[in-house]
Amino acid sequence: MSTVAEPMSTGRIRSVRPAWTRNLFWYGLLLLASIVTVLPFLWLLMTALKGPSDAVFGFPPQFLPREPTLANFTRVWNQLPIWRFFVNSLFVAALTVTLNVTVSSLAAYPLAKMNFPGREVIFYLLLATLIVPAELTFIPGYILAVQVFQYYDTLWALIFPSVFSAFNIFLLRQAYKTVPNDLIDAARIDGANELRIWWSVLTPTIRPSLATAAVFTAVTSWNALLWPSLMLRTRELYTLPVGLMALRGMFTADFRLIAAGAVMVIIPILIAFIFAQRYFVAGLSGAVKG
Amino acid sequence: MSNTLRSRLTPYLFLLPALLFMATFTLYPLVSVGYLSFTEYNILRPAQPVGLANYQRLIGDGVFWLSLRNSFTYLLVTPVIIVSAITLAIIVNRPLLGIGVFRALYYIPVITGAVAVGIAWQFLFDGSGGPINGMLLSAGMIEKPIIFLTEPAWTLPIAMMMTTWMGVGYYMVVFLAGLQSIPEDLYDAARIDGCNEFQKHWHISVPGLRPSIVFVAVISSLSALKVFDEIYVLTNGTGGILNSGSTMVFYLWKQAFRLQNVGYASAIAMVLLVITLTFSIINVRMLERGEG
Repeated sequence: MSTVAEPMSTGRIRSVRPAWTRNLFWYGLLLLASIVTVLPFLWLLMTALKGPSDAVFGFPPQFLPREPTLANFTRVWNQLPIWRFFVNSLFVAALTVTLNVTVSSLAAYPLAKMNFPGREVIFYLLLATLIVPAELTFIPGYILAVQVFQYYDTLWALIFPSVFSAFNIFLLRQAYKTVPNDLIDAARIDGANELRIWWSVLTPTIRPSLATAAVFTAVTSWNALLWPSLMLRTRELYTLPVGLMALRGMFTADFRLIAAGAVMVIIPILIAFIFAQRYFVAGLSGAVKG
Repeated sequence: MSNTLRSRLTPYLFLLPALLFMATFTLYPLVSVGYLSFTEYNILRPAQPVGLANYQRLIGDGVFWLSLRNSFTYLLVTPVIIVSAITLAIIVNRPLLGIGVFRALYYIPVITGAVAVGIAWQFLFDGSGGPINGMLLSAGMIEKPIIFLTEPAWTLPIAMMMTTWMGVGYYMVVFLAGLQSIPEDLYDAARIDGCNEFQKHWHISVPGLRPSIVFVAVISSLSALKVFDEIYVLTNGTGGILNSGSTMVFYLWKQAFRLQNVGYASAIAMVLLVITLTFSIINVRMLERGEG
């Protein structure tokens, strides 16, 4: 984990003396790649800022708006409860992360630090579920949601099926393994029970891995499309991806409005990324060592 | 409760919540989808056992075979992702000023989500005046605009490009971590031996990245086999003209949730399960060889 924890830092310093021409070549490549990754978003933003007399499509393509306006944003904002979608997404992501990380770290502790009959069986059972694509469980999941749990068309339908994650259990198990046994033994001698040891002795020591698991779970939850679009019917309950799909259906005639909606959906995750970049990157690549 | 019994129960109590959720949302659905695949079921009326009828129907269903073929074609994203992600990782592994900003920029497509990205792509590839057509026209590579989004031959390639574009930043970070664990001496030795930049990476970086390459191959091919979002967003939920963009998961979704053929969709799910299992076994073998 330590190697992936800081991939955004400058990397190690090579002893090569910087030659200007050489660096220029590398900056050229870097810029070229940035154009490929950023230009689509930039174009989206420019389109969202375009006024009614600006051409959205055409040859040659027009990139910059001639009369920039925020009218598209206000129109989308007034016609669709984007703010609600955002709150729904946040609610689902926050609850999913809390439940998932708690349940995963509870399960990871005995798998890392205790000996008990059946440990191997449980371990391999968890491993096997890693292979099963979640999409395969959607049909019975749908029937469960409608007939058994009756949480169809509520946000709980998005939360409960995402609580179990073998991936997070393995990630946290690896982290617990690095905690010295002496620490646990000392706490036991002091008379702490296992739940207490798990919560106040072990959990604080594996904070980086918990953050990793949390961010990974949050991004997955935030961007989920297929399952939420199966579960949610009421517009006020839509999450951002489902809401954006609906928005696209509503404004097929004017691409400026669709672009404005897309930009508004991208902004929150972009802000989160800027502030928690380190965890984002470590979280999503943590699987290598996990 | 006696102390020994309590301490013997402890590990199971810790595992209990996870096992309950696993049983309810992973194991039970798997068994259930297996059962449903032998029934005719449309949600409204109880499932009727029909034996192997759904599987027999699969054999004669052209769209199923097309979806299967598309899903396998989709695996082509894996080598493309590996090559581009390694190249990018090598480029951003230099201690240049502001390199962190570039790494962050390459990462943005990973986190923005398929719907927003799909909207951007529909716009870029628009047939009536999108920027891609504009560029191709002005470069003289085409004479009239290509209607990318409705042309059956282009549906799958564009979705595959989108998958690649959204994934490369993520795999770049994986390879970057791999590159940073290769000992610097090896590169120094190569420099002394007179290797140029390309030879240096071909002979040292690529072999040194082998475990990461295997990992990325496993992860990206498994996610390619179950692609849905890109197809759904780019084709507005239609799967493209003549089902040209239909994949296994897309066809499963369409049969189950659009056409209410739940039993038949379950049979598709079982086929997908068998394919992913086979794939995973091959992958585990590869992993073992990669580490041994």
